[in-house]
Amino acid sequence: MIWENIHLALKAMVASKMRTLLSLLGIVIGVGSVIAILTLGQSATKSITQTIVEGGLETITIFPDRSDPKVGEFDEEFTDVLKKNVDDIETVLPVNSSSALVRVEQESSNATVSGVVSSYAAVLDYEVAEGEFFTLADNLSSRQVAVLGSEVAAELFPNQSAVGRYISIFRNQAKSYLVIAVMEEKDANFNLQYNASVYIPYNTYTDRFVKPTFVGSYVIRVADGADALAVSDNVSTYLDSTVGTDAYRIFSPASLAEMATSITGTLSSFLAAIAAISLLVGGIGIMNIMLVSVAERTKEIGVRKALGASPRVIMGQFITEAMVLTLTGGLLGIVLGVSISYIVARAVEWQLFISYTSFLLAAGFSTLVGVFFGWYPAYKASKLDPIEALNYE
Amino acid sequence: MKPVIELEDVRRYYTMGEIIVKALDGVTLTISRGDFVSITGPSGSGKSTLMNLIGCLDTPTDGYIHIDGEMTLGMDEKDLAYVRNQKVGFVFQQFNLLAKMSALDNVATPLLYTGVPYRERREIAMSALKKVGLADRMKHRPNELSGGQKQRVAIARSLVNNPSILLADEPTGALDTHTGAQILELFEELHSEGRTVVLVTHDTDIARHAKRQIHVRDGRIGEAG
Ligand SMILES: Nc1ncnc2c1ncn2[C@@H]1O[C@H](COP(=O)(O)OP(=O)(O)O)[C@@H](O)[C@H]1O
Ligand SMILES: [Mg+2]
Repeated sequence: MIWENIHLALKAMVASKMRTLLSLLGIVIGVGSVIAILTLGQSATKSITQTIVEGGLETITIFPDRSDPKVGEFDEEFTDVLKKNVDDIETVLPVNSSSALVRVEQESSNATVSGVVSSYAAVLDYEVAEGEFFTLADNLSSRQVAVLGSEVAAELFPNQSAVGRYISIFRNQAKSYLVIAVMEEKDANFNLQYNASVYIPYNTYTDRFVKPTFVGSYVIRVADGADALAVSDNVSTYLDSTVGTDAYRIFSPASLAEMATSITGTLSSFLAAIAAISLLVGGIGIMNIMLVSVAERTKEIGVRKALGASPRVIMGQFITEAMVLTLTGGLLGIVLGVSISYIVARAVEWQLFISYTSFLLAAGFSTLVGVFFGWYPAYKASKLDPIEALNYE
Repeated sequence: MKPVIELEDVRRYYTMGEIIVKALDGVTLTISRGDFVSITGPSGSGKSTLMNLIGCLDTPTDGYIHIDGEMTLGMDEKDLAYVRNQKVGFVFQQFNLLAKMSALDNVATPLLYTGVPYRERREIAMSALKKVGLADRMKHRPNELSGGQKQRVAIARSLVNNPSILLADEPTGALDTHTGAQILELFEELHSEGRTVVLVTHDTDIARHAKRQIHVRDGRIGEAG
């Protein structure tokens, strides 16, 4: 009986294609937009999270707020203070950076010039491509040496090796630096734009660029195996109690990744609400079309009853019809949603993440809508008086 | 042997606001198995009302009806549907075929409600169509068939569940005389095979073919011949 009913439903649908399509529009658009937003939301999170994870979850960066009176606390000793007071910190690296014009003969480039300590590269797993990173001795003696990020090197020395050559860095006045190494490419880690930077010894930087005690930022490397999120929380707690919440900003890729995930979570429940409303609207459309269908086919119902169809059988026929209708709407909606997602994801270059669970949910929900909103019209059909229905013209 | 149809003081009243229309006003009637009964009477006398009651499409305001030994009083819609499906084959003046289905599917529909599986349904429907001489029209839709052919399909449909009673309410009413005569022949043939046939007609010539003739007037019956 179920197959016959499905067959009948499909026949009825095909018989009035345009009307069917119009009546399904509510459900198609409802399901389509939910699928699209869900898919895109998930694709966005995945893309963002992936970028973050590739950059490494194990670093945390603290930026002191220069306008805060407590900013004086953030000096070079602070690296040791922090390490002593918060568990699971492997290293704290003081970093000073600013943007500056870098030149070689005709070529010039705007780069971030960072003063870093000699362990910087090793701590952040930042590999040297050519030459050697500067040493503790270079730092202590404030040598005029520089290490180039891959992009800067490519820009300034497009056709030759940079190592052993000199570059000028302009900051009030031009100073000449010997390039001693070029780094491998490394994905940006939100705050650390590795490739577009020029690295010089920390002390050289402070001599040239800022007043000696000030530190621009601290990059924390979390101990291997430790929970970066927990460490980040502990650092915040410690800083809040010592310098106050306003004196710094903290960036942890781990916390960003978590935020991204939680935003999608919120988005999903918000979407569920939209889905419910759109399916409700779509369902009312279905109820309407089913009432029309029952009225139009009163005679048919009369004939079927005369031939021995029980009320339950008639009810089954029309509920099946409503279900087939809404399921079709749901499937069309899924196709629509995926198409939209595909187009958008291509345009913004996200990797498309398709959630098959959401397909199942959409199909299931739209079928349920059919049962729910098809119930009343089907009930009406089942209660028709056989004679009145037969004599209906 | 128990009569296949038994009516005891059956009434069917319609209330139209203030007025009560007594479509049937106390009909007592028994029809034995294998009989061929014609029902005649002027328009509006209650013939269709009587047929609908026998066919369990309608329920009486008062009185008792037994179909094939079963009392229909107190039956719910489901039980009535069962009687319509199993005990009665109904043929209407206006054919009442399902327009979007082939002749074969139309004929097979009662079997669907009996729960007969697909293949068997087709086989039974096929042989019923063969019986009414339309085996070559099984794929045709009603609008591709002549009036006489449509009525043959309807008759085939009324036969598939091998019912105890064949009810035909003016089956020739929408047909020309020649085609009507052929349909009548078919009913006579079915009767000769042992089926109980009750046939409403306004044509006294046709009525004369029946073994038993009942006349309805103002919701009451009288017997002739
Ligand atoms: N649904 C109804 N409501 C009111 N009156 C009806 C209804 N059906 C039939 N009647 C009346 O009952 C009487 C008998 O009708 P019917 O059995 O159809 O007559 P026949 O078939 O002999 O022409 C008529 O007067 C008709 O108007
Ligand atoms: Mg009549």
